[in-house]
Amino acid sequence: MITVDHLTKRYGAFTALDDVSFSARPGRVTGFLGPNGAGKTTAMRVVAGLTPASSGTATVLGRPYAALPTPGRHVGLLLDASAQHAGRTGREVLTLGAILTGVDRRRVDEMLDVVGLTEKESLRRVRNYSLGMRQRLGLAHALLGDPEVLVLDEPANGLDPAGIRWMRDVLRGYAARGGTVLLSSHLLNEIERVADDLVVIGNGRVVAAGTTDELLSGTGTVARSVDDAALAEALRAAGVAVSPSATGGLVAETDADTVGRVALGAGVALRELRAGDERGLEEMFLELTAGAAREEVAA
Amino acid sequence: MSTTTATTTTTRRAPADSTPHVARLPEPLAGPRPARGIPFGRLVRAELRKMIDTRAGRWLLVAIGVVIAGALTVLFVQQGGDHPYGAYLQATAMPMALLLPVVGILAVTSEWSQRTALVTFTLEARRARVAWAKVVAALAVGVVAVVLSFALAAAVHAAAIGLRGATGDWGVEGTVLLGAGGYVLLGLLQGLAFGMLLRNTPAAVVLYYVLPTGWSILGSLWSAAASAGEWLDLNRTMQPLFGGSLTGEQWAQLGTSVGVWVLLPLLVGMVWVTRAEVK
Repeated sequence: MITVDHLTKRYGAFTALDDVSFSARPGRVTGFLGPNGAGKTTAMRVVAGLTPASSGTATVLGRPYAALPTPGRHVGLLLDASAQHAGRTGREVLTLGAILTGVDRRRVDEMLDVVGLTEKESLRRVRNYSLGMRQRLGLAHALLGDPEVLVLDEPANGLDPAGIRWMRDVLRGYAARGGTVLLSSHLLNEIERVADDLVVIGNGRVVAAGTTDELLSGTGTVARSVDDAALAEALRAAGVAVSPSATGGLVAETDADTVGRVALGAGVALRELRAGDERGLEEMFLELTAGAAREEVAA
Repeated sequence: MSTTTATTTTTRRAPADSTPHVARLPEPLAGPRPARGIPFGRLVRAELRKMIDTRAGRWLLVAIGVVIAGALTVLFVQQGGDHPYGAYLQATAMPMALLLPVVGILAVTSEWSQRTALVTFTLEARRARVAWAKVVAALAVGVVAVVLSFALAAAVHAAAIGLRGATGDWGVEGTVLLGAGGYVLLGLLQGLAFGMLLRNTPAAVVLYYVLPTGWSILGSLWSAAASAGEWLDLNRTMQPLFGGSLTGEQWAQLGTSVGVWVLLPLLVGMVWVTRAEVK
């Protein structure tokens, strides 16, 4: 469980996080989305106790990060896969982690196996690792202490498609076991597949939060009838906003019951009546963060 | 537009749900999660390991060993090896005092230059404990190095007596041993302190090596600096340690300079490290 409550972080005149509140629940994967510079990493760093908050609180498992005894046994973090000593071997990085976390050294071998780093690769220095290998090492490091909470910043970066699939399976399996997973990613398709809950952040503010299904479910009702023009007329008369649907028919900004009743009253026979199309995450993301996004060159 | 979203709808999460998890998950660890923090000894162990688990750290220690061995060899060969033990002792202490502080500097600065502080401070959020563990680990390395080198000096002196017929002269007082050891360890502490204050390897190394030269240049140009140097130039205030006995004023001078160049940067560095944002 991660709870972020009215968190604000200012750097001089710049407000990186502005009254941010959200939570990541156990047994669920929470996707953390936002354009570059929206404050995702800053929020995760505050959660991990690396960045002091200007106001507000962030707690993990009910306590501030600094109050967790032996944090590695409670929280697994992967904030920056490149933040490792270039001259250490992957195995050594994990061994140091095992010493500090107080877990058996055999756990190092198990983690290497879990993330798919071979014995030979584990003896190479991190300097010679690809980004994908660093991410795998970072995840191995995060999982070392069998934590209840995982916080991962862009873990899919640099992974190949098989690696991304593997990462998804690990995170889903981890949440299925009761763990809390908070991950940020730019790969919207990936987040859409893996996340149960979403938190969307733009310009340091939370612009949307809820379950993935809720957020992506369409609004309104799609209706087709023998006479769409008459139906549209009747709906407008009933005070319902109507627009033509791209696939034919109408999209009414109300529920199916209302559309049905209006159609009945107007004497227009319906051919199709269903809930509006689900939005893609990309659409929702661009829509929500439109104000916060950087200026893009108009295509 | 809605055709594409409709496609997304049908495929959403299908791969994760329809195929069994192929990825292996780590075994849960048996036993309760610790209710207490990381014991200090474990932090020290990790810090000791960090000093020798990279090439830079290992070679630095090897280099110190090589320089000491070289110095002892020169004495052994020169004039039939006929030098008192004190001379052998000095030959080992000087290179150590010069090079060991870099071990202290690197122990701190590498966390920032290699950005491992990010990992270190998330595994132990009580940052001051990490900093103290570094101090203790560096001092432990220093003590071992001092004892080993003094023993090595004794072995070479004994060899000179036995093999080359040198006159045995073990006339070194215990206070001299302590003084020489203290000299080396204070240098090491200074390295740690500079590392904590500057958190940047080149800056800390340069400041450490330039400071004594700076004092002598300043002192030769400006007499006020020369008299201030008697109280503030660590190189000068630590010198009497080698003699093994200090006058009251020398103690005061040593204390002042250690306060200014070791304790102050160490404390400022500690305060900074506990409050700063770790990038």
